[in-house]
Order: sequence, then structure tokens, then C-alpha cells
Amino acid sequence: MTPASSLQNPSALLSDSHWRAMPQADVLRFVRSLLLAYDVVGAQNKRGRIVLDSLQDAADLLLDFPPAVHSPKKFLFPNWDQLFRFKLDENILLQPETAAPPRIIFGMHPCDLHAVKILDDCLFDGESDSSYRAKREATLLVGVDCTPDEYCFCTSLGTDRIAEGFDLFLHRRDDSYLLQSGSERGLQLLQNHAPEIFDGVAESPLPLQVKQCSNKVQFPIESLPSLMEEAYEDDIWQELGQDCLGCGSCTLLCPSCYCFNVQDKLEINLQEGQRIRTWDSCQFDQFAQIADGENFRSSQADRQRHRFYRKYKYLWDKYQRTACVGCGRCSRECLSQIEPVEVLNRLFATAPPALISDQPGSEYQPQMAQVLEVRSLSEQDRLFKLQLPQPLDFTPGCFVELSVFGLGEAPFSITSPPDGGNLIEVVIRKAGALTQALHRTREGDSIGIRGPFGTGYPLAQMLGKDLLLVAGGRGLLAIRSLLLAALKQRQEFGRITLLCGGRDIESLMFPQDLLDWHQSGLLDCRIAVKDQQNHWGVPAVDVSYLFKDLEINPQRTVAAVSGPPGMYRQINPLLFRMGLDDEDIYLNLERHMKCGLGKCGKCRINNICVCESGPIFSYHSIKHLAEAIER
Amino acid sequence: MKTKIGFFDFAGCEGCQLTVMNLEEELLQVLQLVEIVEFRELMSERVAQLEIAFVEGSICRPGDRQRLQQIRDRSQVLVALGSCADNGGVNALGSDRTAEVLRQQVYGSDLPHLYTETPQPLSAVVKVDFRVPGCPIDGREFLAILQALLLKQQPELPSFAVCVECKLAEYPCSFDYGQVCLGPVTRAGCRAICIDGGGHCRGCRGLIDNPRTSPYHRILEQHGLCFDEILDQYRTFNIGEQESAK
Amino acid sequence: MSQRIKLDYLTRIEGHAQLIIERKAGKVTGCRLEVVETPRFFEALLQGRHYRDVATIVARVCGVCSISHTLASLLATENALGIEVPPAAQLLRRLLSYGEIVQSHLLQLYFMAVPDYLGAASLFQLLDERQELVARALRLKRVANRICEVVGGRPIHPVTTCLGGFSAKPEAGQLKQLRQELVAALPDLEATVELFAEFDYPQFSRQRVALSLQAEERYPLHGDSLIFSSGEKYPVAEYRRQIEEYLLPHSTAKLARTQSGCYMVGSQARICNADGHLSPMAVKVADALQLDRAGRNPFENLKARLVEVIHYIEAALHAIDDLLQRGMHRISSNSTPAAGGAGTAAVEAPRGLLFHRYEYDPQGFLQQADCVIPTAQNLASIEADIQLLLPQLLELPEEQLRKRLEMLIRAYDPCLSCSTH
Repeated sequence: MTPASSLQNPSALLSDSHWRAMPQADVLRFVRSLLLAYDVVGAQNKRGRIVLDSLQDAADLLLDFPPAVHSPKKFLFPNWDQLFRFKLDENILLQPETAAPPRIIFGMHPCDLHAVKILDDCLFDGESDSSYRAKREATLLVGVDCTPDEYCFCTSLGTDRIAEGFDLFLHRRDDSYLLQSGSERGLQLLQNHAPEIFDGVAESPLPLQVKQCSNKVQFPIESLPSLMEEAYEDDIWQELGQDCLGCGSCTLLCPSCYCFNVQDKLEINLQEGQRIRTWDSCQFDQFAQIADGENFRSSQADRQRHRFYRKYKYLWDKYQRTACVGCGRCSRECLSQIEPVEVLNRLFATAPPALISDQPGSEYQPQMAQVLEVRSLSEQDRLFKLQLPQPLDFTPGCFVELSVFGLGEAPFSITSPPDGGNLIEVVIRKAGALTQALHRTREGDSIGIRGPFGTGYPLAQMLGKDLLLVAGGRGLLAIRSLLLAALKQRQEFGRITLLCGGRDIESLMFPQDLLDWHQSGLLDCRIAVKDQQNHWGVPAVDVSYLFKDLEINPQRTVAAVSGPPGMYRQINPLLFRMGLDDEDIYLNLERHMKCGLGKCGKCRINNICVCESGPIFSYHSIKHLAEAIER
Repeated sequence: MKTKIGFFDFAGCEGCQLTVMNLEEELLQVLQLVEIVEFRELMSERVAQLEIAFVEGSICRPGDRQRLQQIRDRSQVLVALGSCADNGGVNALGSDRTAEVLRQQVYGSDLPHLYTETPQPLSAVVKVDFRVPGCPIDGREFLAILQALLLKQQPELPSFAVCVECKLAEYPCSFDYGQVCLGPVTRAGCRAICIDGGGHCRGCRGLIDNPRTSPYHRILEQHGLCFDEILDQYRTFNIGEQESAK
Repeated sequence: MSQRIKLDYLTRIEGHAQLIIERKAGKVTGCRLEVVETPRFFEALLQGRHYRDVATIVARVCGVCSISHTLASLLATENALGIEVPPAAQLLRRLLSYGEIVQSHLLQLYFMAVPDYLGAASLFQLLDERQELVARALRLKRVANRICEVVGGRPIHPVTTCLGGFSAKPEAGQLKQLRQELVAALPDLEATVELFAEFDYPQFSRQRVALSLQAEERYPLHGDSLIFSSGEKYPVAEYRRQIEEYLLPHSTAKLARTQSGCYMVGSQARICNADGHLSPMAVKVADALQLDRAGRNPFENLKARLVEVIHYIEAALHAIDDLLQRGMHRISSNSTPAAGGAGTAAVEAPRGLLFHRYEYDPQGFLQQADCVIPTAQNLASIEADIQLLLPQLLELPEEQLRKRLEMLIRAYDPCLSCSTH
């Protein structure tokens, strides 16, 4: 568990009470109060440069600024970091590692907050880095909107905005700020140092300004892995090698580069010293030099390629995100004007076109979809029929990201069947700020949409088989898409059985559809509800009850199970008992998804990234993750 | 038993020895570990043998060679102190003319006691074990090298360029101010002090092991320098002799 | 029978020199201070260099007085090319000079001179016996170096100075801190005065001509006008008419003389010509040390130096206050350098008057340079003193003779690498 997640309770974040107005003058007062208790680090103008440094006077603090020379890495993972002290003639060290001073970094741009997440991923991975952890835990992060300059390309990477990972965030309005709290600690900070704001009236979340970067990656960033896969032998690396001065500025200034050296520095008396950590750079001559003096990355071309692969490929392979946040620091300071955006665009321009054409509609920036129809399914659930600018190609089980600017985005299963058209249906349950805002949209409004994402049911492989569909609660959303797709070509399938469970009739998704299917004769539709209040459905504790008198032919049957995690624990053994092969059981792990981008790492279960390889998996492919799916 | 060290000088400004003196409090601490047995500027004593000789200045006269050889003979380790000793330094600025021409220009005379040869680094005459680069040297780097020698370790100089220290300290890039800077090819270790002072790097610490001269020269050309002007940049501290030959 | 005494390893001075004495039948027949420093031909090295690089190069003439060379060089180029220097930058330059003079004087007083008076071969020898004294010497030197660091970026070969002023300025906080350090050094200075008041200075007297910059508003430091102890004044730009440099076959340093012969520059010369401008504290110290303001005894150079240390520390405090109150809004010049020209400047370096004169071609490349070094101007005076002193010493055993002569030479604090350059 990262400090970020231990400190913050993301589920509580999106409620309206976390938004407050903050007049400009109060920001200054707030900072003054913070200065009494904390080392407050903020952007300041020093010798004509914007640098992050300890603040002496609140009046020096800049809140509207392009990226500072160094990122907050300067404080969270400093270049000269004492790991411990030692004495030569004593076999134990003198003092424990120094506790990090309580500090607030006031003025973190979204890109820098994203970079901290990358550092978290890398430095908490495996044996977590205690020195970094100490600083991370002692440091509160206050976000602030940014002003992109000509080097920024955060909008291409989706790092121009952030919904979590901060303690407080100041959103700029015309002449004041809208303060968003992102953690308990953030709220406490507000309570202690700006009580009048803390007690102030809650504000509703406001849509944020859309940022504009003139510097853009000209292709969907999801194409990066495949692009980089093919680019290893590209001539461009030789070219960069010839341009590069090897000064390492790009990596030293990078907010997420963390390669380091560990050295002992002795005091003058040669009796005691400290072990310190300093930044290293893969661009340096001796970086890849090994004990016998041989250098396994001896040319600058190799080093530049390594850098680009570290930034755009290797971390993606592991975490489905780039290790670059688009802050532009590397190119801003590069004497040779090596610019990642230009390099990536050139790679893209020369790449075989097939690489990206099979990912329609996956532009990183949302497209706008029009709301054609809103239908209330229950008190919390509404069905939205959306019209997209272009036809959508997907398989049942895939999802889209819906967004409202300022509130972020979230994944939603497509509940309609693929039909080659540009209409889709999604069901949105009212929960946090984003879904509330989505619920407020009316027919004719537009919302942001990206996708489709993920891997759905292999419909083609199911042809000619009997289908056993088991749905619990919201699990029906994906099953509905699959079922409707199957019903469109009913004659291609054998028996179709739908087992559906819910708390009561009202809580069932699509009660009317269920009733229609029940009565249609096209399939065997059985419904189990806990609280019997209607004339149809079977009163039962859960859906497993419906298996009691079920007869299936295990050789002909493919099962699709979709529901809350607890359901798999009950249902999977039943299916195996009936003789189904684990390759013929498909599970929906949708619940593990978070950002849907293959970036945040939240949906990662061991080596599997759910939002990319899933959310639909055969039991066979994920059975080693039994703890995750059957818990 | 304290390690015996000595300081010696040839043609130079004695600024490097003075930098050692300027370590002040740290010098007092150093003196717990070493005994300075020769330092003509500060003491009258002389000894027969010593462990480490720090030698400043460049070699310009036949007598210099002899004296340097004697220092080498009675020292276990010989360290070149500062750019004059390391590569000839500023003294070599006149190496495009003969010593005779220089003599005439300055003295208008050719008296024998004015006789000199082209200034040479110590390594042209004797084996130099280690070097402390810079004009003047950096006191802290001197201490680190002395420490390593006392611990019988191999002293190490940074292999990266001044740019690194500049970026770490967040100094504005000299090129942004229209100044031509040797930082991209000059060995770090000075904490980019000249750039901190609002100036640019003139390369007093010498080139890094693997200077990327071809992209660097391209950048200089973009800043309006012709090839001769580029070579001239290297001349102030007599670095990049090999480079200019390319 | 003729005898030749060769003092060939003069120590505790900056640079290399040897003293040759020839005597015959108890009489001195020859006496030469041979400067054996290697000529580095700096005036020639500067030829063809662009005005932007000249000060940086010429600073390398001398590590001890690199700041004086830098400032003399910048001023000469500024005079040649008509570059104005804003008042705040002039003030900062003065502060920088104070730092250099104080640190140079303290180095000479404690590290070069004190061992003579305490019967040691070097200050390091006193590490155990007089620990407090050594520590104090280092503390004081530190404070002086701090002035140079805060203003010049580092104690040797400054990095913040540039044509027209400064390329970087100290922060107000740094100056306030420096001020505290200077005030905190006063007890150490008092102890130093007490120390030097106890010393037994050799008696010696010779009427000498003193040359310095003319004190105008304040004690001489940077200026346009020369003054002799006779009261005669001349513009700095005319220095070549008043001073002639000449070469002797035994010295790589040129010597200097006026029409009437040798003269002295440095602390004693400045006090001789401008003692009325000494700071109140410095006057007190001069009285306590019973300093001969006319500078007839070269051994009293030590006293004069200490009086100046006090004066410049006090002046530095005032300069800091002034800088803080006035602010340092403009520290560099707006003026466009003229296309070529000639210019001369003189500054009071620790050891006395330092002249630089340059001629630039229209492209800004240096055609002709001339540097006249304080030590070079004092060399003839040192020789004259030795000549006069020797007959009193000839009966002494050679070791003592040698010691006494070395003390005399040290009292001048010759800077020999500088003098040859």
C-alpha cells in the first residue's frame, strides 16, 4: 500500500463537500499560517528562473507559472540524500536515518502529481525505498492549475489534469480559487490553518478549463507500445546519438527519472562519514560501465534509445503508462534541442500504418458524444443512449471512458450490443461527483467519451455453442451486451440460458428486458431475487440457487459469469462440478478497473492488466490469480 | 605517524596553494592527519623525503625540469595541482608564438635570464600520479582527493560535464544569454561557479574524457561562431589541443 | 678576500627570489635581489584577445591579488571603451577590494611575519603551543575571504565581476550575514593588535618617497589621480611620464623608478599620503602601535598593514550598510562599448599601486597591454634598504644575517610571481 492510498480515501473525494471557494487573499493567509508550522516549498522567481524552493515569505509564492526548472523530485527524491551515517571503528551505525522534515509542496502541477505517482510505482515496487517513503509521508502535496508553455505536451498524455494523488488542489477561477480536498490530511490542514475556509460553504464542482498545448503527440498514446516495439532498430536513435551532448540534463530534470548512485562521503577526520545517494543519468559515459570496465551501452545513440524506452516502453509494459508526464523539462533545457514529441511524431510518421489504425476512437483526448436518451432504471441507475461522432467497433464486455471536464473520467461497460453503428448504451449509477454530474446531463447535452477499451467476450469462438450466462447485480450490464449480440444471430447458437440474481426486483437492472426475455422463448431466463415482491422470479438467497435443476451439456457449453467478486467464489465450483472446462468459463473482472487507461496500475493483478487484457478473461488465463477472483 | 605532504610551485600564480590555505578550519582538521613538511610560501622548513607532493605551475625552463625531477624522486605520490600543472593552463596562451617573440614583446630584450620554453604540464617531464584540475582548484575537491590518497584509494574526478552541476543548481544557461559556454564539454567538479557568478564556462578544468565535440561545435556554429572562433574558445586554458587537431 | 652570500631559497614570500651579497674586506661590494620567477609574458598573452576575456586572463597573473588585477583590468578596458559603471557596482567593487586587501594583509602578517617574531619556522610549528593564535589567524582570514566570496563568488579569481560592473550580486541576506561576521571578528582583531604591539621591530630608518593614489573623499583605493609624498599630483593616465620601468640582468621582474630614483608603494605609502582618511578605529590602532606615519622604517610595514586591516574592515561595514540602504538595483552597465580605444587605470592593490593600460583595435581585440606591478615598483626600494642595513649586520653569524634580511624582505610582502608576470 502506498502512502498515497493510505493517506487518502479516494471514495470520499468526489463528493461535493470537498470543494470550497477560496478568495485570493485567503490563499496568502493560508500560506502564512502554514509557514509557521511547515517547510513550505513553492515556486519562486529566482534570477529570472522559476524554481521550487523553501519559501521565506508567502508573498514570493507563485501560483500561476509554467513548469519550474526542477520538479518536486528535488524534495521528494533529492540529489544529495543521506541514507545513514557511520563510524569506521564501530560496527553499528550512529544514528537512524533522519526523519524527513514536515513539508508542504505548495503548487504541484497535475503533471508533477502524475510524476509522483510514477515515482511511487517505481520506488515502492518490491522492497520499498524507505528514504523516499519517509519524505513522501512527511510531505503534503498541494496542487495548482498550470499554464502550459510551448514545451508542455501533457495534454497528449492525459497528465494535464488529475483527480487524486494530492492533499489539496487549487483550481483557478476568474479572481479566486476553488479548493478541492483530496485527503483527510488535506482537510485537516485546512481546518488547522484556514478554519474559515474549512467551515465555509461547500461549492459544487465546476468544470475546469480545458488546457491547450501547442506541442502535441500526433497519435493516440495507446499506440506507443506497438510503435516502440517496432522502433528499436530505427535510424532515429543514431541521429539523436549524433546530436546529443551526453550532458544528462534531460534525465536530471525529468520529474520521474530516479536512477541513482550510492557513495560514501567521509568527514575530514576519515573516521566517520555518511552514505549518500546522488542522481545518476543513463546519458553519462560511465553509467553502463561494469566492473571490468566494459560499457554495455557505449554509444550515445544507445543511451538515447535507452532513455526513450525507459520513458515510453518499459514502464508501459509493466504499468501500462508512460514514465513521461509531458512536462517538457527535458526539451526546455536541451542545448541540442532533442524533443520527445518530435521524436515520437517522427517515429509515428514513419511507422507502418497498420500499427494504429485498428484502434479507432481511442484518441487520448475525449471525443464528444451527444446524449440521445436518458432512461431511469432505478433511483440510482440511468440508461444513457449516446451518439458518437463515428461508428464504434467493439466486442461485448468492452468499456468506454466517460468524462466531465474538471471531474475526471471513469470506465463504464457498454451494455448495448455491437452493431457497427454509432449508438451505444451505458448505465450510470449515481455515486460520486462525476456520476452525479453525468446524471444531471439531459438529452441533447454532450459528454466526453473515449474508447472502446479492453478485451471483451470472444463472440466468434462462442458460435455454435450453448451459452450459459450468469449475472449478478451490475454484472448484467456486460451480459446484456453479449446476450443481445447473440440474439441478433440467434440461429448461430445452441441453447441460451440466462441466470440472473439480485436483491429485489427493483434492484435488478433492466427488469423490463428480463421480463421480455423470460417471456420470449428465445432463451431460458431465470431470475432469483432475495425479496419476493412480484409475480415473477424465484425467491432465493442468491443466484447459485438457480443451478439446482439446471441441466447443461458441458461439452457444448460456454459460460459467461459477471457479477460481484463474491459471486465467482460460489459459481465457479458449480460450473466445474457440472463438467465445464476452465477454458470455457469467462469471468468479468470489471470491478478491478480504475482509470481504464492501463496507466494507474490500480487494475493490475500480478502481471495482468485488467483494463487492457480484460475485463473479460477465460478462467484458464487467470486461474493463477485465484485469490483475486474467488476471494 | 602523520603522512608527510609538501607543496611546490613552478610558473603560475600560486592561487591553487592559496586555495588550500583558504580551507581554513578544514585545513586545521587536515593537519591532524598530515604534516605539511614543505610549503615555501608559508614555511622555511625543508625535508628529504615526503609521501605526497602537490605541485602547482607549469614547466618553462630547463632548471624547472631538474627541480621537478628532484621533487618526483623524493616523493611517493606526485599530484598536479591546478590547470597550469595539469595542462599548461593560461601560461600556454602564447604557444602560438616563439618564446623569443614573447620576450621581445614584453621585455624588448633577449637577456639569458629571461629564457623560457613553451610552457608544459608536469606530465611532460615526470610521471604524474593524480591531478586536481581547475584554475584555481576547488578546495573541496582537493580535500576529497587528499582523503582518497590517505586511504590509499584511487581518487576520482567527475566524468560528466559542467552542464550537470549547472542544471542541478538551476542556473540559467549561458547560451540563453548569448554567451558561448564551454560547460557542455568541460569536466565538472567546480559546482559551475562561473555560471553561478553570471558568467560562462571557459573550460579551466579541461575536457571531459569523451567530449561530444561534433554536436557541440554545431551548437556553437548555430550561435554564430566560425571554426577558428570555436577553436579559440579552447585556448584560454589551453584545453582540447587534440580536439583542435581534428 | 671576497665573499659571496647567497640566500637562494627565500621562504614565506609569494614567489621565487634569491638574495646575493658580495663583500670584500668587510665591505659590501654588491647586493642584488634576484627575482627568478618564470616570465609568463602576460602582456603578450593578452594581445589579440577580445576585451571580454582580458580581465579573466590577466587575473591569473597572481592568486593573491587576482581581485586587484581583475578590477584594474576592467577599469582600464572601461576607460578605453567608454563603459560607465553604476554607483552600486562601484561600491561593490570597493567592498571586494577591501576583502582582498584584508585577506592578503592577514596572510602576510600571521603566516609570513609572525613566525619570525615568535621564533618559529612557520605558523604550523605553533599549532600545539599557540593553538589559539593559529585558530585566530584562520578565523580572521576566513572573514576576509568571506567578503571576497560574497561579492566576488570566490576568494581567488573572482567570477561575478564583469565589464560595467557585476554579472551577479550578493543577496541582501548574505550582506547582513557578512556584516555580522565582520562585527564578530572585532575581538580577534583586538587580540591581533595586542600581539603586534608586543613585537620588537628592528630599528631602521630611511627617508623614502611614497607614491599612492590620491585620497579624495576617502582613503585611496580606486582613482584617477596619483600623489607623491612630496605633494605632487598627476593624472593616472600620465603614469608613464612619471614612472620608468627598467630591466636588470638579474631579475625577471622589471623594476621601476621616477626621475629622482626609487620609491615605495603599499600600506606605508598610502598611510604616508592619506593618514587623514583612516577610519577612527584605524587611527586608534595606529596610535597604539606607535606607527611612524612617514613610513621611514620598512619593518613597520607590518604595523601599517594591520592599521589598514582595521581601516578596511570598518570601511567594509560602512560599504555594506550603504549597499543595503541604497539597494543594488543596477549593478551592470547599459553603455555600448566604443569601437576600440586606449585606457589606463590604477588601483591600490594590497601591496600598492597597480597600473593596467590597454589599447584595443576597432574590433575589440587587444593590441597593446602594459601592467605595472606594485612589487616591481618596490624592488629598487628593497635593494636600497638592504644596502643601507647590511653594514649593521655584517658582523652577525650568517644564519642571523640571513634571518634579519629575510625579515626585511618579508616586511615588504613582495609578490614575485606578480612582479614578473
